[in-house]
Amino acid sequence: MNIQGEYSFHGSREEVWNIFRDPDVLIMALPGTKSLKKISENEYEGELQVHIGPIMGSFGGKLTISNEFYLESLTLTVEGNGKIGFVKGSGDVKFNPISENLTAIRYDGVIQIGGRVASVGQRLFDTVSKNMIHQGLDKLDKALQDRRKG
Amino acid sequence: MAKKFIGERVRRNEDARLLTGQALFVDDIEIPGMLHAAFKRSDYAHARILSINVSAARDLPGVHAVYTAADMGEDWAPGPPLVSPPPSVKDVTFYSRRQAPLVKDVIRHAGETLAVVIAESRYIAEDAVDEILVEYDPLPVVSDLEKALSADSPLVHDDLESNLAAHLNQQKGDYESAKKQADVVIQRRFHLDRGAAVAMENRGIVAHWDEKAKQLTIWDTTQAPIPIRNGTASRLGLSENQVRVIAPFIGGAFGPKMMMFYPEEMLIPWVSVQLCRPIKWIEDRRENFYATTSEREQVHEVEIALTKDGHILGLKDDFLHDTGAFDPYGLTLPLNTQCHLMGPYNIPNFSSQCTAVFTNKPIVTPVRGAGRQQGIYIIERMLDISAAELSIDPTVIRKMNFIPPDAFPFNNTIVDQAFTPLILDSGNFVAVFEKAAEMIGYEKFVKEEQPRLRASGKHVGIALTPFIETTGVGPYEGARVQIETNGKVNVVTGYGTQGQGHFTMLAQIVSEQLGVAVQNVRVVTGDTAEFHWGTGTFASRGAVVMGNAVHAAASGVRKKVLKLASKVLSTPEEELELVDGVVRIADVPDRSISLGELSGLANPLRGAVDPGFEPGLESTDYFGPQSGTTASGCHGMILEVDPETMMVEIKRYVAVEDCGRVINPLIVEGQIHGGVSMGLGNAYYEKLQFDEDGQILNASLADYLIVTSREMPKKVETGHWETLSPLNQLGSKGVGEAGAIPVPALFAQALQNALFDHKFEILETPLSPNRLFELLQAS
Repeated sequence: MNIQGEYSFHGSREEVWNIFRDPDVLIMALPGTKSLKKISENEYEGELQVHIGPIMGSFGGKLTISNEFYLESLTLTVEGNGKIGFVKGSGDVKFNPISENLTAIRYDGVIQIGGRVASVGQRLFDTVSKNMIHQGLDKLDKALQDRRKG
Repeated sequence: MAKKFIGERVRRNEDARLLTGQALFVDDIEIPGMLHAAFKRSDYAHARILSINVSAARDLPGVHAVYTAADMGEDWAPGPPLVSPPPSVKDVTFYSRRQAPLVKDVIRHAGETLAVVIAESRYIAEDAVDEILVEYDPLPVVSDLEKALSADSPLVHDDLESNLAAHLNQQKGDYESAKKQADVVIQRRFHLDRGAAVAMENRGIVAHWDEKAKQLTIWDTTQAPIPIRNGTASRLGLSENQVRVIAPFIGGAFGPKMMMFYPEEMLIPWVSVQLCRPIKWIEDRRENFYATTSEREQVHEVEIALTKDGHILGLKDDFLHDTGAFDPYGLTLPLNTQCHLMGPYNIPNFSSQCTAVFTNKPIVTPVRGAGRQQGIYIIERMLDISAAELSIDPTVIRKMNFIPPDAFPFNNTIVDQAFTPLILDSGNFVAVFEKAAEMIGYEKFVKEEQPRLRASGKHVGIALTPFIETTGVGPYEGARVQIETNGKVNVVTGYGTQGQGHFTMLAQIVSEQLGVAVQNVRVVTGDTAEFHWGTGTFASRGAVVMGNAVHAAASGVRKKVLKLASKVLSTPEEELELVDGVVRIADVPDRSISLGELSGLANPLRGAVDPGFEPGLESTDYFGPQSGTTASGCHGMILEVDPETMMVEIKRYVAVEDCGRVINPLIVEGQIHGGVSMGLGNAYYEKLQFDEDGQILNASLADYLIVTSREMPKKVETGHWETLSPLNQLGSKGVGEAGAIPVPALFAQALQNALFDHKFEILETPLSPNRLFELLQAS
């Protein structure tokens, strides 16, 4: 299924870009992330706990960053596997500067799920994933603002 | 005058037990020392297994064993092919590929079994399944039928050149010439999609290998205990006599439980032999969606050639048929579809090519209707479309094309699923159609009520859909009937039961011959230790094949009764009658002997017997028809659609069926009601949704909508018509699937008729409120 949206961060484009490349911040951002470790320049390994309707469980997997155009855009690719099924997805993120204190991002991607989470959770996946992404972006924004203050 | 039993509305012998929980189902089996199985199933529809690590699972307390394909060693083998392609059809291409007990290297559909855990409880077994670590190498998935045949499609079986599973071509007459003579040629493309059987009881197996007795007992929710027993004995290197398969009461089957040598059926008995413990596996609902077979997806390119006054000159249908990842069931489904494309009509020229295609989806095998509804759907939609195009009334175009009642047997020449030419043996399609029209008040509705309702803004539609159903196919079934010394009768057959009323229907057939009350006839079915010859319960053949086998055996007993009673009562056989459990002289009723006493006399404990003596009043007999017999019917429906919500209300529902000799009208009506509910599901509520990754997106009853009492019409008004089959003594025909077959076509016709003010065409099934909304928006 397709996942698209926009979000405005309270920071400069450079500050927002750096947040996206910082695993210690990302781990806070996505709700349910239990661990996130950098294993190479563009690869992270981690574990994500999800709760979709009657399904609860964790995915272990990889997050890869590619197609980087510094401060302009990047592509996030996710591949995870767990007892409740598997997930694979890929999304392009574009960064649009509005001002020194405001940056808009636009994300556009595709996610595929399989296994138990698809059979039973598919109907809810749309809403749940939108919620998770929003919560995550809110947390990232908060982290960004904390960083600016401190 | 002897009492009649056949044709009577006898209440079912088996219901008291079933309704008070006194009937045995597979999950009721509890054996000391029994262990429980749970399966690790693939999440991916197409992937290579790089590794399976079961060590954590094995270490879990309470786990007795974990097996993968590697652990089976030389005992690993795929299931057997169940049905070969028909030898009588020329130029058949068929690639046989069958499912494995546990996947060795490549997974070909989501839900395939990768490992089995055996533990103290199902609870522990499932926890252990979660500890199994599989490393997958996901492969591209092929799930669309047409894309599967494109040159660059991923291959389901990479040892084949393409995803073509089978191809066959059937011709009658010369369609191309007929087309040239036509005034009108109409072409359409149809897409039909999958539904599941969703029996109330999922599958289950208990296997018990007794090491000391060297005996294997299996309880299985199968429609075919005898082939399961023979195949299992062969796979395990045992004598057939060492294996006993019992199909106890089963909570609905509808076809998928006829599929044999499911992975679990190959594995669980083997595990029991390895561990020398009883092993139980009960399928849960989510497993059922993936692990139990389903059917109906086909894509049809159809052409019909007609004269301008509506006579069909020819029909052509080239179609694709989804067989899933494997094709153990041969060409049964597409053959059934081909044999129902001509319906009850006289179509002199016919051409049909069928291409069966492998996809990364669960296996396709018959589900109630078994490919017949697709054929009926196509011809009925084409007739509706032709009627509209030629401005002919839809009932008129059908009546003018029906095979007339004096034209039987009618040879359609093409080959059917039983490998015999499609010969319609008997029927009166015009009478059945007119009866349904009369019952639903077709004329009055169309002339008076409908215009009035339409004027008040209501969208109410009426439909009449006739159909045929090939039933009662061979090869054969058998039965043993015996009168016991207590005067009660025992009937034993290998033919299993899944709720159809066999315990009553067969009793009635026996009572008719022996004059014993129906409640005093005890029926035993589905136990290979009791009777081990026969095939299984499928294809609406019980009343025909098993019924006539029981009839033959009961007649054999009757002959023995008369012969012995004639000696005992010193009266010629012609003067004797069997009534109320005794044999008596017709005009001197107090000269009689009870059947029980007679049975005692037939089994002497002392003295000598004559040569050729057979003890007791017992007879075993078999029946095998030369070909299937043609049942038929017509359903009618009045339904109202809310053009905003697309929700429907069925105002009236009429089902007229011709199943030949009706043995018990109560049971026939029950079959019709059940069939109609499945047909309505197939028409408007049930669709197995697959995504392009071969994942089922509605694998739960929360999302896969089956018909409840709210969706059913308040009453299914049934009518009977009897054209006796000339192919068997009882004159009976099958009716098990009839209720489901015409419904998708009927529904489409009714919806089109109701939504008369919208320009749209229904060329697909199943529909749904959402889908109907989309179709109307697009128009």
